[in-house]
Amino acid sequence: MFTERLSDVYEHRGLLWILVVRNIKIRYKRSVLGFFWSLLNPLFFIAVYSTFLKLLSVKFRTDDPLYLPMLVIGIFVWQFMALCLGDSLYAVVGNSSLVKKAAFPRVILPISMVLANLLNFLLSLIILIGYLLIIDADFSRLYLLPLLVLTQCALCLGLSLIISALNVFFRDIEHLLGVLLLAWFFLTPIIYPFANIPDEYQRLSFLNPMTGIVTAYRMVFLTTDIMAPRLATMSMGIAWITCIVGLIVFEWLQPRFGEEL
Amino acid sequence: MTEEYAIELQNVGKKFKVRGLRDRTLKSVVLDLVSGRWRGPSEFWALKDVDFKVVRGETLGIIGSNGAGKSTLLSLITGTFRPTAGSIHTHGKVSSLLELGAGFHPDLSGRENVFLYGAIMGLSREQVNRRFDAIVEFAGLSEWIDEPVKHYSSGMYVRLGFAVAVEVDPDILLIDEVLSVGDAVFQRKCMDKMEEFRRKGKTMLIISHDLSAVMAVSDRVLFLDEGTVHGLGVPSATVEAYQSLVRKKEVEGKKRVWGTEEVVISDVEFRDGQGAVADTFGFGDPLVVRISYKAEHRIERPIFGFAICDPAGRVIYGSNTQIAGKDIASIDGEGAIELRIERLILARGRYVVSFSIHSWDHKINYYRLENAFPIGISCNEDFEGCHMSCTWSG
Repeated sequence: MFTERLSDVYEHRGLLWILVVRNIKIRYKRSVLGFFWSLLNPLFFIAVYSTFLKLLSVKFRTDDPLYLPMLVIGIFVWQFMALCLGDSLYAVVGNSSLVKKAAFPRVILPISMVLANLLNFLLSLIILIGYLLIIDADFSRLYLLPLLVLTQCALCLGLSLIISALNVFFRDIEHLLGVLLLAWFFLTPIIYPFANIPDEYQRLSFLNPMTGIVTAYRMVFLTTDIMAPRLATMSMGIAWITCIVGLIVFEWLQPRFGEEL
Repeated sequence: MTEEYAIELQNVGKKFKVRGLRDRTLKSVVLDLVSGRWRGPSEFWALKDVDFKVVRGETLGIIGSNGAGKSTLLSLITGTFRPTAGSIHTHGKVSSLLELGAGFHPDLSGRENVFLYGAIMGLSREQVNRRFDAIVEFAGLSEWIDEPVKHYSSGMYVRLGFAVAVEVDPDILLIDEVLSVGDAVFQRKCMDKMEEFRRKGKTMLIISHDLSAVMAVSDRVLFLDEGTVHGLGVPSATVEAYQSLVRKKEVEGKKRVWGTEEVVISDVEFRDGQGAVADTFGFGDPLVVRISYKAEHRIERPIFGFAICDPAGRVIYGSNTQIAGKDIASIDGEGAIELRIERLILARGRYVVSFSIHSWDHKINYYRLENAFPIGISCNEDFEGCHMSCTWSG
């Protein structure tokens, strides 16, 4: 089934690419700052969190010189995921006229949406690397980056497939997603270092694929914050499993899209 | 390709679930499951036992009332719906014009949408590039092509959609109610394009409510009603069968039967000049009606009457046995009477025939059968109402 679907998608690569471009164009249509919003947004988040965490004088060391770069990496990485999942709500539902009237592999819709967000993320990654150059970060592990980005894409795609398909049947997903994302955000070491997680919960935390991914990004860019490689691998393995589960769920539900929309 | 058929349908059925007014939400599903009220949605068959084949190069018209299942049928052939029962095989590249401009994004320009729509229809970027000028030219939108399509009129929208769709060069083209959109010039272009497709030996399925257009372009016509095939064959005969059903449905609500019922009309048969049962007649043809009755007791000097009305209910012609000077002494038990109209000189259209039996002094209505029998008149001449020979001089 998978190879068949894969060649199907490959055959429609022209459509896939056009949809990617369309998704990007539409996002910044009629906004003056356009692409810069995908940089400004995380910057605002970073400003807000770093300020308030300082004011609240929380337990972890916000005065650590590495706290800010750690936060910056965390927020940029999280942003990619959050935007993907937010967009995935409408990946199928928002293209109902297409789904109802034209025959093409439906899986192209969430894929094109994830790819559009990936391009966005890669551009913001350039800025991130620029910032890390300024603070004199260590780039010796940069070769791991492609694998890391790919793993995050797999996770994003898997979840996007599930969300986009379920939202066709239950529009509750739209309301549920915001809350779940918020909880997930705080469960993932983004505004706090991994080391702040109590020892007894550290292993558990790696069941969250984002823990593995975020800490791995930090491992690539910052020499500190190295965690157990085996647990991180498990965490990333979960990301890939999510991707496969997403594909199965989506393929299982997609024949009914046309009638349900 | 060597297959003789372009499209083959075998006992195809499509069941839809109807959920009624309530939308399904997570909450309602959970509540229903918990309280044991889970009944599942009710179902209805949009199509049932549809079985036909379309020969390569054939143009098949599809007609039927709203909700007959025409669009569902095309969606099944396109592949956006899956059949609940049976199987569908298509041989060749299918392009569907189900909803022109579906997939256009309002914020993108006409140009961007042409590429998007082309890709949806399976064209590569180079292919669209090569044909771009022809597409814009055909749609007649050269000045507007860089405007966002949300500023387009609905006609422009459809024109652009059609222009892209016909560039796909499919083997099988599915067209749903496209003939009726756009202005006269564009409709002409569409008809020419379809003629071109026919010459090239493409297979086409065309849904339309424009029956004369369907008859003009189709090799065969498929007549659907309430999800089942009611006819498949020669265009004129199938269209006639459809029109006959439309007339019947039209009078269904208007039919009125009343009277003392001392005598009732038990059967009415319409026949043409050759004696064959018919409900469609040509201009100037004879019409023979056999009215069977059943009287409870002996009735002296009854009058049999009839009236032909137009769809608005205006009487076009009416007469009875008294006016015609036929004095029926009495009737009792079962019997029949024949009405013969030598020449139907009515304009083309739909008519309804009513019958009555009443007393000689018009005081007692024994039986009235009003708006009960629809008939159709076909006519090549253009006039309205009832034909009168007339000449002009000046």
